Amino acid sequence: MSLSLRLKARFRRFLERPGTTVDLAPLSAQLPAVEARGEELTSLDDDELTEAATEAAGPIEISAIGREAAHRALGERAYDEQVLGVMSLLAGHVSEMATGEGKTLVACIAGYGHVRRGNGPVHVLTINDYLARRDAEWMAPVYRLLGMSVGWVTENSTREERREAYAKDVTYVSVSEAGFDYLRDQLVTDVADRVKPQLVTAIVDEADSILIDEARVPLVLAGSVTTELDPLHAATALVRELRPDVDYEVADDGRSVALTPQGTVTVEKAQGDIDLYADEYATQLFAVNVALHAHALVQRDVDYIVRNGAVELVDEFRGRVAQRRRWPDGLQAAVEAKEGLDATAEGEVLGTITIQSYLKLYPHVCGMTATAVLVGDQLREFFDLEVAVIPRHKPVIRTDEPDRLYASREERDEALVAEISACHAEGRPVLVGTQDVKESEALAVALRAVDVSCVVLNAKNDAEEAAIIAEAGTHEAVTVSTQMAGRGVDIRLGGSDQADWDRVADLDGLYVIGSGRHDSRRVDDQLRGRAGRQGDPGGSVFFVSLEDDLVVRHAADMIPSSPRIHADGLIDDSDVDYAVEHAQRVAEGVNFEIHRNTWRYHVVVEQQRQDLATWREELLTTDAALTLVDERLPAHLAEVEAKAAAEADAEAEAEAEAETETEADAEAEADAKAEAETEAEEAEPDPETDTDPEAEADELEEPEEPEESDESDESDEERELRARIARSIALFHLDRGWAEHLATLAEVREGVHLRALGRLDPLDEFHRAAVPAFTQLRDKIERRIVETYAEADISEDWQPADVNLLRPSATWTYLVHDNPFGSELERLVSSVSRRLGSRRR
Amino acid sequence: MLSAFVNAFRTPDLRKKILFTIFIVGIYRLGANLPSPGVSYDRVQTCVRAFEDQDSSGIGVFTLLNLFSGGALLQLSVFALGIMPYITASIIMQLLRVVIPRLELLQKEGQSGQAKITQYTRYLTLGLAVLQSSAFVALARSGQLFGGVQCENVIPERIDTGISDWIVVSTLVVTMTAGTGVIMWLGELITDRGIGNGMSTLIFCSIAAQLPSEGWRIQQTEGPAAFIALLGVAVLIITAVIFMELGQRRIPVQYAKRMIGRRMYGNTSTYIPLKINQAGVIPVIFASSLLYLPQLGLQFADDGTGDYGPFWTWVADNIARPSAPLYIVTYFLLIIFFTYFYVSITFNPNDVADNMKKYGGFVPGIRPGKPTAEYLDFVLSRITLAGSLYLAVVAVLPNFFFIYLDDQQFNNFPFGGTAVLIMVGVGLESVKQIESQLMQRNYEGFLR
Repeated sequence: MSLSLRLKARFRRFLERPGTTVDLAPLSAQLPAVEARGEELTSLDDDELTEAATEAAGPIEISAIGREAAHRALGERAYDEQVLGVMSLLAGHVSEMATGEGKTLVACIAGYGHVRRGNGPVHVLTINDYLARRDAEWMAPVYRLLGMSVGWVTENSTREERREAYAKDVTYVSVSEAGFDYLRDQLVTDVADRVKPQLVTAIVDEADSILIDEARVPLVLAGSVTTELDPLHAATALVRELRPDVDYEVADDGRSVALTPQGTVTVEKAQGDIDLYADEYATQLFAVNVALHAHALVQRDVDYIVRNGAVELVDEFRGRVAQRRRWPDGLQAAVEAKEGLDATAEGEVLGTITIQSYLKLYPHVCGMTATAVLVGDQLREFFDLEVAVIPRHKPVIRTDEPDRLYASREERDEALVAEISACHAEGRPVLVGTQDVKESEALAVALRAVDVSCVVLNAKNDAEEAAIIAEAGTHEAVTVSTQMAGRGVDIRLGGSDQADWDRVADLDGLYVIGSGRHDSRRVDDQLRGRAGRQGDPGGSVFFVSLEDDLVVRHAADMIPSSPRIHADGLIDDSDVDYAVEHAQRVAEGVNFEIHRNTWRYHVVVEQQRQDLATWREELLTTDAALTLVDERLPAHLAEVEAKAAAEADAEAEAEAEAETETEADAEAEADAKAEAETEAEEAEPDPETDTDPEAEADELEEPEEPEESDESDESDEERELRARIARSIALFHLDRGWAEHLATLAEVREGVHLRALGRLDPLDEFHRAAVPAFTQLRDKIERRIVETYAEADISEDWQPADVNLLRPSATWTYLVHDNPFGSELERLVSSVSRRLGSRRR
Repeated sequence: MLSAFVNAFRTPDLRKKILFTIFIVGIYRLGANLPSPGVSYDRVQTCVRAFEDQDSSGIGVFTLLNLFSGGALLQLSVFALGIMPYITASIIMQLLRVVIPRLELLQKEGQSGQAKITQYTRYLTLGLAVLQSSAFVALARSGQLFGGVQCENVIPERIDTGISDWIVVSTLVVTMTAGTGVIMWLGELITDRGIGNGMSTLIFCSIAAQLPSEGWRIQQTEGPAAFIALLGVAVLIITAVIFMELGQRRIPVQYAKRMIGRRMYGNTSTYIPLKINQAGVIPVIFASSLLYLPQLGLQFADDGTGDYGPFWTWVADNIARPSAPLYIVTYFLLIIFFTYFYVSITFNPNDVADNMKKYGGFVPGIRPGKPTAEYLDFVLSRITLAGSLYLAVVAVLPNFFFIYLDDQQFNNFPFGGTAVLIMVGVGLESVKQIESQLMQRNYEGFLR
């Protein structure tokens, strides 16, 4: 980079303009050294190379050896650009590398480098299982030559296989599997069950997707809890009869729905004239709200698909089925009720960690993706990562056409079909990126109606993905896809064997058509990036209609009433162009806002989780639980005894009183007895101890006995047994306590934005609630442990009440602005302008 | 609270933040006392003293500005303009959003759009700073800055110095404008890396910085007894203000969106806090600004002879004199009016009810939507009565000192109430922030 460019970059950086990137000049300067060292290496035989590999230290040596090993094992010699990618990964940056530039090999050499520099083991985190396994197997020969061991983990891996894979130098695993393995390890009740992923270095594939889009998605381990389904089924039937806009209203942003007063009346009548907002009908209200949400906001074949009698969620960013993801808080059950399916068990959150927090556990994180610059600021803010833009090996010659805008969806679809069939007639391969499953299917029907044969790729047939993508670049191919084809797939011109390359290239290569802009420019860019790999010819264009969700949600009021329209329905108006771009920026802003808020509120919870994990570790691996119980049991028993005595006294007193009063008034007796009973219940809620005090004392001595003998001659076996029981009781209560704590926090979080109305900072207020709640948590847990232990029968093999662990699910995030009402000044201005009548509403 | 501070200093991270804030405040105070080039330090001091000793009838319009700049304005120091240009610019930008739709659109675009608006606000601040500094320099040169006080020209003429006037003037304008830019930066630094909101912290410091000299003046002129009595009263007032500022009515809210088994968690955690003083200090500033108008009129009516005519004499005796009963009563009523006005503008029960409805929230026993809005309005208008009376009393109290301490001495006291309210408000905010950060960082021995 020339001096002036460098100065310019510095200056931009100084002004904190977005898009500032790492200066590659120092790295480029090392390329000749890598080259020179590489030539020396060619003379070594394989064994010598492996030996050299185990001694490599500096980035130059690592790059040179990695390059040579790849050349021998795969026949692919890494380009200079790839070497730059490796070096920037080793420096801990996010490398922006376009599709087809060989990111897999870069990750491989960088993984080797990180291990060599003592930052092993390395996890290469992919977006799905398929890629984890494919990349690991593909790169295995290179690793072998480098003297490294490599493993992979997929959803179907057994515990043994996982443990083995994590013991390797480099492990390929999807980010959600890695996260779940970590969470599961946190919740084991036996040390031997751990798979122990060691979190040292993470190389994140598709970094923007994982680090930004998915970062806020919590990985959740949930135990099953049964939901009351009756009110839900009733509500589902009821909600189906409601009329939109009359009985309920969907908010402008399409993220929330509420009953209108009229709808409330309808619902109340149908449920038998109840007051829905009275305390006793809380269940009905919950059910109606959640059923309404499922009915009005969650769409089949957009947000989820139904397959094999089950509801499967579709990931909004990738268009794929989100593995093992569930909606929380009864929404899943409501959707299942809506589809008339059997309800699966409802989850109660046992442990949760966001992908962002999980990645923060790695001391070293680096990554690569084709679209990083646009999220450079966010990467810096959330992960302290810088973006290094790696130049392409061959310049891109794809032509990106300006958007084609149409007023209505029908016109757009018509034009879209016409364009596709025109290309098809020429023989040019076309990849159409649609917004959702439903649209992809509708388009396929429309295409077949005009005799264009096409292949559909969406969440429903994801099994055939690899085969479909392999042939998407062949002559005359038309592939209709969702965002699924937008990322991580490599479409070669002329089919999988590239036989027809010349013919297809003559037709200007692959033509990518997007039906509507996505919520983020990065998704659009990724889709465009399917064409023009490695200097291939290609083209891309987006067909946008003003009825698209994106435009309607975020820029509805900006569309001029009569834009300039060509005869064929194409809109040619710069105001409309601006509106569409604006809508996209708003959507990006909204997602950023959600991300940042989720994160800000998650920080403390994550700290608490780590604190508790430390304690859990102690309970799990030592006899801390037994020590605790031994310490606290006598005091607890004394307390129980005192309570029982007081209760017995009260009872006797009440009886005596009652007896004297029998003669006076028969009715008073009944009162007194009832009173005495309630008193007794209040004093000691536990029915077991509600016996005569003498017998109780006998009973209570049992657990005390082994404790006394503890000092003298308790056998090791006995002690072991008691320790085991204490431990499992302790772990049980700790996990339960944590689950309850999480539920409480979720509750606080939901309404905390209202505090802004009292000029309080919602985040501070959240901490004000979360921190004391956590400080009390340990006490509460310890008390429960002692209580349960006191009641436990030591001789038997004690088991905590059966809680099914390990049912992963995910949370449904919806936007709660930190301060939806705006600052005081903003409220002032908007209120004044409203009064002046200059604006709507 | 003391223990909170001790703890704060034990937490390295927090200690760094507090020390950083103090450091920035130090720089700010330094700049506020640093004379601008071309200004005669001796003459400025003489003028300021003369100004402070004069009759209250001659109170300048700049007193409020001077208060907010920590006395820097009259000193014509490098930070003479204080952060007022920035505040003005923010308000203007807000208003412009109504007029210019593009700005409104930018605002909606989230982070990146708002960053752009912030950038525009900064440019506007500098523009305003150029205007204001030119105006003040012009006023200072013509001698009007110090009202009717007779003193030597604070910016020496060419005859004295041999430097041409336009160089002096432009240097002054550039210096003060640059000073404003630096203050803006300092404020943002505090917000980013220090404790509390930078702008409020700087205002707090400006006001607090004047307390010692004011106190000392009272001690000098009225003797130690009055001084101690004043201290006692001040402590009482501050205590009362803190008590009232923290007072709130909590309206419980329930969210019926999540269904967690059969369990319902504590409802007490979710509520709308309606503060007794929901309006803050703004009504007082509005009211006192309005009461400046008669004084301004007096200055225009003053033809130098001291004889205004019957109307203006009446005004001078009754409306422009802070110790006059009519002045006090008007002030009191104005504050009550502005409190209601401001609360009705900034707290819109309909918006709040809509927001709650949107996310499935409701006040137990009350239907969402209109009934909820009406309920909020009902509670709010009652609680505001107490709030407005409290504000009015606090604001009017200092005026009684005027009666007690034979008038004329205390120019800055019309803002006694304002100053206390601002300082307590900002102080509470900062302490809360320290507390919450402390909470985040140590769990009071959770793991020993």
